[in-house]
Amino acid sequence: MRIKRPPLPLKTGLVIVGGGVIGCSIAREATRYSPDVVILEKESDVADGTSKANNAEVHSGIGEDTGTLKQKLNVRGNQLYNEFVRGLGIELKRQGMLIVVTQRTIPVDEDGHLSEAERMEILEKKIPEGIVAYGEKAGIQGLRVLAREEVFRMEPNVTREAVAGVFDPTYGLISPYKLTIALAEHAVINGARVFLDTEVTGFRVEDGRVKAVLTDRGEIEASIVVNAAGVFADDVANMAGAGGFVIHPRKGATLLFDRQVTAEYVRSSVAEFRLPGQRTTQSKGGGAMPTAEGNLQLGPTAIETDDKYDTSISAEEIEEIFERFHYLLPDFPRDALISAFSGIRAPTLEEDFVIGASDVVQGFVNVAGIQSPGLASAPAIAEMVIGILHGLGLPESPRPEFDPVRPAPVKFSELPDEERNRLIKEDARWGHIICRCETVTEMEAVNAIHSIIPATNMDAVKRRTRTGMGRCQGGFCGNRVAAILAEALGIPITAVTKDGEGSPVFLGMAKDYLGSDTG
Amino acid sequence: MSKARKPDCVVIGAGPAGLGAALTAREAGLKDVMLIERDLELGGILPQCIHDGFGSIVFDEVLTGPQYAQRYIDRVEKAGIDIQLNTMVLEMAPDHCMTVVNSREGVVEIEPRSIILAMGCRERTRHQIMIPGYRPAGVICAGAAQRDINIDGVMPGRRVVILGSGDIGLIMARRFTLEGAEVEGVYELMDHPGGLTRNVVQCLHDYDIPLHLSHTVTFIHGRKRVEAVTVARVDENLKPIKETERLVPCDSLVLSVGLIPENELSKKAGVELDPATSGPVVDECMHTSVDGIFACGNVVSVFDLVDWVTRTAEAAGRSAAEYVLEGRKREAYIRVNPGRNVKFVVPQLVGRLDRGVDFYFRVEHPERAVRAMVLAGGEQAYSRKARMVRPPEMVHAGVEAAKGLGKARDITIEVVSDEKEA
Repeated sequence: MRIKRPPLPLKTGLVIVGGGVIGCSIAREATRYSPDVVILEKESDVADGTSKANNAEVHSGIGEDTGTLKQKLNVRGNQLYNEFVRGLGIELKRQGMLIVVTQRTIPVDEDGHLSEAERMEILEKKIPEGIVAYGEKAGIQGLRVLAREEVFRMEPNVTREAVAGVFDPTYGLISPYKLTIALAEHAVINGARVFLDTEVTGFRVEDGRVKAVLTDRGEIEASIVVNAAGVFADDVANMAGAGGFVIHPRKGATLLFDRQVTAEYVRSSVAEFRLPGQRTTQSKGGGAMPTAEGNLQLGPTAIETDDKYDTSISAEEIEEIFERFHYLLPDFPRDALISAFSGIRAPTLEEDFVIGASDVVQGFVNVAGIQSPGLASAPAIAEMVIGILHGLGLPESPRPEFDPVRPAPVKFSELPDEERNRLIKEDARWGHIICRCETVTEMEAVNAIHSIIPATNMDAVKRRTRTGMGRCQGGFCGNRVAAILAEALGIPITAVTKDGEGSPVFLGMAKDYLGSDTG
Repeated sequence: MSKARKPDCVVIGAGPAGLGAALTAREAGLKDVMLIERDLELGGILPQCIHDGFGSIVFDEVLTGPQYAQRYIDRVEKAGIDIQLNTMVLEMAPDHCMTVVNSREGVVEIEPRSIILAMGCRERTRHQIMIPGYRPAGVICAGAAQRDINIDGVMPGRRVVILGSGDIGLIMARRFTLEGAEVEGVYELMDHPGGLTRNVVQCLHDYDIPLHLSHTVTFIHGRKRVEAVTVARVDENLKPIKETERLVPCDSLVLSVGLIPENELSKKAGVELDPATSGPVVDECMHTSVDGIFACGNVVSVFDLVDWVTRTAEAAGRSAAEYVLEGRKREAYIRVNPGRNVKFVVPQLVGRLDRGVDFYFRVEHPERAVRAMVLAGGEQAYSRKARMVRPPEMVHAGVEAAKGLGKARDITIEVVSDEKEA
């Protein structure tokens, strides 16, 4: 049973294909100029593709190659971030990144070509100073070299194999799905409309101009289309005849730890510096970082896959992560592992962002190849795309009626007691804790279901409230959330899903199967 | 509950441990006992345990879970205990200050003179044992599945694979079968079952459900809902053998892979935990390392029988009453050491020597024809023959005071072979 969705409009100005962090960033920015914006998302929630499995990192740009669009937009995006999230009710925590140079960066030279003094000179000075110089050239501010002792003072759990470090203070963390939800809601507040469970099946292109978007729920007339379809961006572009690039999906798996145990385990994000030949994969190498909420994350891996839906994690990947971080953080708390997840990066063969208006199909804009540092670059990507859209007819003058504020959902666990008591008097559901691990109240789940982008399944409620994100992983709260969903949506309990169509939590009522086989 | 209340005792959790502790504390003379339960009803996990096998030691009868719970609920409700349902403890400090919340009175501070921890345990999840694969709907813990069927009346699966042969897994194999669902098999990593022998017989053998020892699940298939699992035999190091992998179509994977004492609050209060049990270090009075904070039942160590949970609860309730009424202090402690083939022992410390001590322990590996021994200062204080000891079964050794732990400097619990006499 599909959750009822509002009917599609017949016509709009701008259609954005894909409700990930990029699509929603562009949508929110576009509503500054026009309310006539539609987001189409094929999954049951925004941020339900790669965005939900992102590691929350707002990089400075230090890891990107000179001259790439990635580097330019990353550095710019990082600088725009505080302004970008203002009014969204969500915070970017700039706690910085520590890049650690270790003994194994340049192993002891057995043949003696490199004396020990020379080796240490390179490790302690040349490499860290080189990193700082490289970053400064790219426009990154505040980078500084740390001596060995400073590394340990900053991050006591880092391996004693550390030789030196570089601290990158502009690096920050933000919840990728909360940001995406906030951006989508802010866009809706300013006139945009979001259609979930709506898959684009084609485009009507006439005389080299895009005229309409075809979906599994009908057709929408529109003269401008932004393709922000993530791993499916090449397929969507090809539907319009506006392709010319290939997305080759690359999986990244991350291990997640209990925040009650790991809140203080690393304070900044910690990554090990590896020379180009030492990286086994195309990933920047990953790191140990807290999530925006304080859970330690280790990862991600980087595995090429030919399946755009392959969000599985293999035993080898888990092993690889443990092995990799055992060196950097020798005694990390293995036993506090509570979850593991995997997301699909969307690189092009060139490994750079592909952003631009199609020169074949007028009105069609590709925003593709967005992989890390996509989250960090989102504000700058949106800025760049808005510039393109102005050229295609998006009004140029800001709307005076644009509302700069998206109210943040109230979180019981973060309130002072007087405020908690006031709310409980107002509605008793504020006093009913349904998720004990994360201290989430019944009212927060109800509010999520009735929010601007309504949560219609267990995972959507979880992304908004943290129910089921703690150490018991929903063992205690699962049935309560399912019952609240069923009641609020007016559906039978057996229609409640984990993550949209095809993922029922329950398969029937007790006694349903009795005698069914024998008649 | 009124503001800044100072009850004699607050019991956290109203499962069998909390019920027994609150009742005993009240009957031992504490006037103001508060029982805090986060759920909507008393009994903890027992109301969903509709199978029998409870009470053989405490009541010398075979009861179902709800029946066992009801015997205590009836008495607790008449005992003049302040029962706070649907109430959550948010904070707890070493000085006993607590912050609790419920819908009726909001956020309230309580400063009890004593606290009894009875929060029980939670189930290990798929990630704690790191099963690779996708994250679809249909991967559930056995206790949660039991609640689905027996309390909420919903079926979490129809074609089921069960991983882990702990007692709940075995009981759920039978329960799913009785509901008309198909249980393809129970897979167990170890070379011996994880649950009680009686459950292997009554829940699997009687229903022709296969038990695959030395097997595990190596992959979960299905992006939205479980579609299949890959199972494989494991080698002597418990590593899956690739060549033995087999795809088993199913719509759900039910996990019975262990229980973890729920000690997040204990940690907040600064209670010392034993890494071997994952529960508080306690003495024979069930007193934790923090003065006036006691613990009992599965929060201390996961017990196999509810009867033992009740026994520890009675000790905790009695001790809390003595602490409040008589201002009873700790004695000098003797440490209890796990010896040969003993994984852990509760209590870990013994102070008071004027009455009997109940030791509970688990063995490391199965062993036939043995003696369970308690040695005090090298002298035998207790010895009992057992035909068989197995890791899933808690061994109880009740030492009477007269047998003289008295002058001992240390106590060792061990299991020794008794082949000659067998």
